[in-house]
Amino acid sequence: MSQYQIDRVKTGIPGLDELIEGGFPRGDTILIAGKAGTGKSILATQFLYRGAVDYNEPGVLVTLEEPPRLIKRNMMRFGMDLDKLEREGMLSIVDLSPARDTPLNISEYPSFDLSGLEAIIMHHIKKVNAQRVVIDTISILAYKFKARDILREELFKLCAHITSTGCTLLLTSEIPAQDTGLGVFDIEAFLASGVIVLYNEKISDTSRSRSIEVLKLRGSKHSSRIHSMRITDEGIRVWPGEISPGT
Amino acid sequence: MTDTDADSNSDDVGEDTSDKIEVLFFKSDTCAFCPRAEEVLRETLEEFGADMFKVIVYNVSEDPEKAEEYGIFALPAIIIGGMSVTGIPEPEIIMKMILGSKLGTRS
Repeated sequence: MSQYQIDRVKTGIPGLDELIEGGFPRGDTILIAGKAGTGKSILATQFLYRGAVDYNEPGVLVTLEEPPRLIKRNMMRFGMDLDKLEREGMLSIVDLSPARDTPLNISEYPSFDLSGLEAIIMHHIKKVNAQRVVIDTISILAYKFKARDILREELFKLCAHITSTGCTLLLTSEIPAQDTGLGVFDIEAFLASGVIVLYNEKISDTSRSRSIEVLKLRGSKHSSRIHSMRITDEGIRVWPGEISPGT
Repeated sequence: MTDTDADSNSDDVGEDTSDKIEVLFFKSDTCAFCPRAEEVLRETLEEFGADMFKVIVYNVSEDPEKAEEYGIFALPAIIIGGMSVTGIPEPEIIMKMILGSKLGTRS
């Protein structure tokens, strides 16, 4: 095997880098999939926070679901002050949450592209010279637009455009309850060169167990086990040596 | 029709446009469907009575803040009276939006 080393981005999640040869391949698109309450948004936001604080890599957080004030409040619980990062120009939060007062879309014709969303995100990437981007969550797009085939193609283009700037892109995807796929599009896994799945499974009548699985990561030898994960006072932590009791 | 092209930053030409219906059209440099959508929009407004409208065109490739301000992900997009439509519209939907906006402003 060649000695060529892929440039990697530290995830900022203690324990996770050990499962994936040291980090995400720089400039790749990584999907973080999981059911509601599994910690997708925390993991993705922690990736941005630690990237800025520990590795001096500015980031852009595109929120399509939760309003920024709630994200900031929730991340403060882990001692992650996003306001401060914004003031320092290390983070730009793009508020595209439904809570905003925006025009009511009354009709959609199957002749559109996502160049509006692309222009917004690219503008923020340029503004802070971002190296990390998170879109949380792409599932919202499936509820916002009816034309799934157009959306799929446009999502491919959007991801390609963002990563062409050198940014490493994390997409979160919500797996609907009772569903066995990786999200509402059925193509989430193809969209990304890496897929990480989070679980919060009931293991007895009185307890649940959090775990994490690296389903695929192109260009990397990764663990094929499901590992224990916890949400601690300092955010998400993975125990690489610990196999989840729920599996 | 008072035409304000946001690209060129040309503002109103001094005429009173306060009673006109504001029509916002969003396009981008890469949007293949935008030219046709703009044609349909302008033809429909002409039929209705062009002097009733104030059309503002935003090119989000040059003015991405406007797309963010109005929450416009997909292009082309038209906003009339708090309602938006995505894609190349049928004239009927534009007419509905105009009528809706007139009803909305009547006091």
